Amino acid sequence: MAYFGNNPQRGELQELYADLNDLNFEKKKEAVKKVIAYMTVGKDVSDLFQSVIKCLEFNDIEMKKLIYLYIVNYSRQKPDDAIMVIQNFRKDVRKSENPLVRALAIRTFGCLRVPKLNEYLIEPLKDCIQDDDPYVRKTAVLCVPKVYEVSPEICPALLELLQKLLEKESNALVLANLIQSMREIEVVSGKQLINLNQKIIQKLLLAVDECIEWGQIFILDYLATYNPQDSKQAEIIIERTLPRLSHINPTVTFCAVKVILKYLDFLDNGELVKNLCKKVAPSLISLLSWNQPEVQYTILRNISLILQKFPILFENDVKVFFCSINEPYYIKYEKLDIMVRICDSKNFGQVLNELLIYLNEADPHFVRKTIKSIGKIAITYDKALDKAVSILVELAKNIQQPTEPVQELLIQMQLIYKKNKQMYKHDESLKIIYSIVDYANEPESKSACAWILGEFGEFIPKSVEKMKEYVDNFQMEDRLVQLQLLTSAVQLYLKYPSQCATLIQQLITSAKDSFNPDVRDRTYIYWRLLSTDPEVVKNLVCFNSGTFSNFSKDLRLWETQDLVVALENMGSISNLFHKLPHQLYKNIKIKINNQQNVKIYKGEEKPDTQAQDQQDENNQNNKKELQQQSQQQQLQDVDLLNFDEPSNNNNNNNNNNNNNNNNNNNNNNNNNNNKTDLFELI
Amino acid sequence: MISSLSFINQKGEILIYRVYKDDINRNEIIQFCAKMIATKENKESPIINIDQTSFIHISIKDIIILATTKIDVNVAMVLEFLYQLTKICKAYFQGNLDENCIRKSFVLIYEILDEVLDYGIPQIADANLLQKFIQEGGIQQETTINIERLRQLTYTLTGAISWRPAGLYYEKNEIYLDIIESVNLLISRKGTVLRSEVVGSIELRSKLTGMPECQIGMNDKLLMGKQARYNKQNSGITIDDMKFHACVGLPKFEKDRIITFIPPDGHFQLMSYRISENINIPFKVNAFYSEIRENKLEIRLKIKSIYDQNIYGTNIIVKIPVPKNSVNVISASSIGKAKHEVEEQSVIWRIKKLQGDVEISLNCEIQLGLTTREEVWSKPPLKIEFQIPMFTASGLRVRFLKVMEKSGYRTNKWIKYLTKGGEYQHRL
Repeated sequence: MAYFGNNPQRGELQELYADLNDLNFEKKKEAVKKVIAYMTVGKDVSDLFQSVIKCLEFNDIEMKKLIYLYIVNYSRQKPDDAIMVIQNFRKDVRKSENPLVRALAIRTFGCLRVPKLNEYLIEPLKDCIQDDDPYVRKTAVLCVPKVYEVSPEICPALLELLQKLLEKESNALVLANLIQSMREIEVVSGKQLINLNQKIIQKLLLAVDECIEWGQIFILDYLATYNPQDSKQAEIIIERTLPRLSHINPTVTFCAVKVILKYLDFLDNGELVKNLCKKVAPSLISLLSWNQPEVQYTILRNISLILQKFPILFENDVKVFFCSINEPYYIKYEKLDIMVRICDSKNFGQVLNELLIYLNEADPHFVRKTIKSIGKIAITYDKALDKAVSILVELAKNIQQPTEPVQELLIQMQLIYKKNKQMYKHDESLKIIYSIVDYANEPESKSACAWILGEFGEFIPKSVEKMKEYVDNFQMEDRLVQLQLLTSAVQLYLKYPSQCATLIQQLITSAKDSFNPDVRDRTYIYWRLLSTDPEVVKNLVCFNSGTFSNFSKDLRLWETQDLVVALENMGSISNLFHKLPHQLYKNIKIKINNQQNVKIYKGEEKPDTQAQDQQDENNQNNKKELQQQSQQQQLQDVDLLNFDEPSNNNNNNNNNNNNNNNNNNNNNNNNNNNKTDLFELI
Repeated sequence: MISSLSFINQKGEILIYRVYKDDINRNEIIQFCAKMIATKENKESPIINIDQTSFIHISIKDIIILATTKIDVNVAMVLEFLYQLTKICKAYFQGNLDENCIRKSFVLIYEILDEVLDYGIPQIADANLLQKFIQEGGIQQETTINIERLRQLTYTLTGAISWRPAGLYYEKNEIYLDIIESVNLLISRKGTVLRSEVVGSIELRSKLTGMPECQIGMNDKLLMGKQARYNKQNSGITIDDMKFHACVGLPKFEKDRIITFIPPDGHFQLMSYRISENINIPFKVNAFYSEIRENKLEIRLKIKSIYDQNIYGTNIIVKIPVPKNSVNVISASSIGKAKHEVEEQSVIWRIKKLQGDVEISLNCEIQLGLTTREEVWSKPPLKIEFQIPMFTASGLRVRFLKVMEKSGYRTNKWIKYLTKGGEYQHRL
């Protein structure tokens, strides 16, 4: 046949063509299977379209499914041929008594994704949405977003139908899929479709008890985006969600946690909040020992976020984050990270002892990360400083090779010294760390060594000789090291002017012609200053960096107002990457823009403090509400803190007052205070 | 939600590829495969983002199951769904899921994929149910024609008790109950317990007629607290957390702490639980490593079984880590056999059966070979695997199991306890 003209697999296709048109049913069926097999491996068999759909005339459900699969795959390439199938679909939907066939037809019909075919779909779809059989109904409901994605203009009637269905549907599974389907449309259209009222919420809560696990997830996921009207409503929803904590599907449990944590903000009763926290914690911990590492990983990633708002949940449970030797590294890294976050004045000893064990592990990356964690703890928690430093110094004593962990060790020690300059001036540790300086082989660790040399030159034996060594190799170094060397050398020069005179000369000569403008500029600045007024240089390079505040900030992931949004999205991809949804999905293609729209839609629903500041008195009512909520939110933060220190009443009262004068301008101030409190605790 | 689903083999070839949404193309998947094959180490996280596309995957032996999406989905759900999908496939393939069965039964898998996801949204993912209407080689004509039965099927699928079909009948009504506990233990160098935890599960095999309602009770502290009469004699054990199969009425449990359920037919996991208090640690371990002279290491190990005398531990495997450069290992044990296994870098001591309250010992003399590099040996922890029938490390006991059905038949009940070693480790 000329049909196959230039096709390289001419023989194969021809054979299939013959078999498809064979009169023998079995032969046809085998041929269809083969076609699907070719499709799977990525070969183009679209040319057989007509022959394949001819096989639809047999009433064999397995074959039907295969052919439908084929049609779905190639309908976009062959829209004109696809039209021929329409009659078949319509016949199935209208005439078949078999609900499975009806559902199959409508499901496949929706997947064609050919705009001009969709108008044929509207009527049968309407029928199916009102079908007697719940299985057909749920399939039809899911079909609407498929159509909407391709041709939204023909959908208004369908959307109305969905909204009506939401009012009257009583089957839990259909309801759950309905919610999910409407949410998908909301994502694409950016418009709010679901209008919740008391009755529907009631229905959804009932449906959670009755439908399959995925349905429970859809509903809970949706409820997490809803803002309850008052404390009473929040309490009811929490009460109905609590049993889900005992579900065997980890995601159901996790979604229940999400809903509960979110609604906690709306509760007035502090005692209740405390009790609920006690119930949520063990459920979360069980998820951590879930035997599917990938699921564990997701949960761990989210726990860093939960911790920022609910440090109370894991107060006494640092042990659950201890690494086990067989775990995949992505989990170990996550656990290390969390251990640093969870570390406080009570448990730092325990945490550091555990980290000490990890230093013996074989994997250098993991050891490096452990050292980094120890360094972070030393910098963040003053009480842990001594112990952490002694661990690191002990480690330094046994070092004989320029391994990867050594680099991290030097970097962390530099940071520790930087923060606590006065404390370590005469310390023994300085000499031990200095003894391993030769093992530095990464730019960052080398620059750390150079920094130590410049800063503590007078306490280190033979510092000038060492600096000479560095200066001799100046040209070979990385830019980062060169910059640090310049500063350190000048520092050293100010300490030992006579010994370093030639050294500084040598350095300036080799650095002034550097190709790197930064290095060159710095060289010239020092050069000019040294030749005019060394005092100025002294002030410039030897200043005492009294406070070193940036470190604690390092530990938090989000600003408070973002935290609320983030918590609402617990479990999502954006959260997994520790981003807000709009940060991860922005300005890319139309679909992603839609994503942004959702963000705005959520913004209206959700008190977003930043947006609130920008909004003027245009919609005052709305604003008032938002403020109230955000205040409640802040109040909650403080309450949670109070579990730790009951003496903190002052703060609480303050906040209560504020709550009374709604339009008080101090509001913002107070918010800020609370924020810092919260983070200090973390 | 999920844009596409693929099964990929070890070489990075696509075995099954099903698209649910139009926003992904095959090339992206192929790129991902190439990347996966390049980084075999599996150190990378199970979720990777490339150009706004998220690749979410799990590995089941040599098969990678991959879901892709372009929107901000609930990752935990997708992962859990992938796991359930493998469960379904395994149920169809008698417990295997390898390249062969996938290639052989790709038609079946496509049929399953068509049913479990619609527009990328998870639907029915219960193997028992799916088998009612999807079968290898197509289901019998009879079922497809009998409309009444089909109606019943769709109502079961979408109903509140979707896990159990109506109209089951058994000559002999039986229910088997297995309580399986696995002990996770981490003991520090000094012998203090760093972490001890029992993760248990109650597995049921039910062969019951009709729609029976079952009730199960354990010696759980909270439950017993509600029933005052037990209060004095026995306080019960504290269960940190329980997770139940979908068939358990959760609201009722939350309110009254009573576990009631209408069981699915056949084998299923009724619940899993976690206990961290008052755990009976089954073995006491003492290990001494001493370097007698250069290149010679001696290990003396003592293990005492601290469970009841009339209970026996079986298939006990002790993995004693030894340095990489161990060449000649001479070991003498009071019971069982010990052998140096180079690949595992440890001496493996196997004991078939061990009575409770017995102390056993092992002595090893290890010749160390010369190494080119002076490397400090990081002693990994000593691990023990074991199984102890009729013993629960948590002390959990099933107090009663009631089966109530309106026809009022008698049920034979069988119960079995087993404790296994999970992550059972001693640091050295």
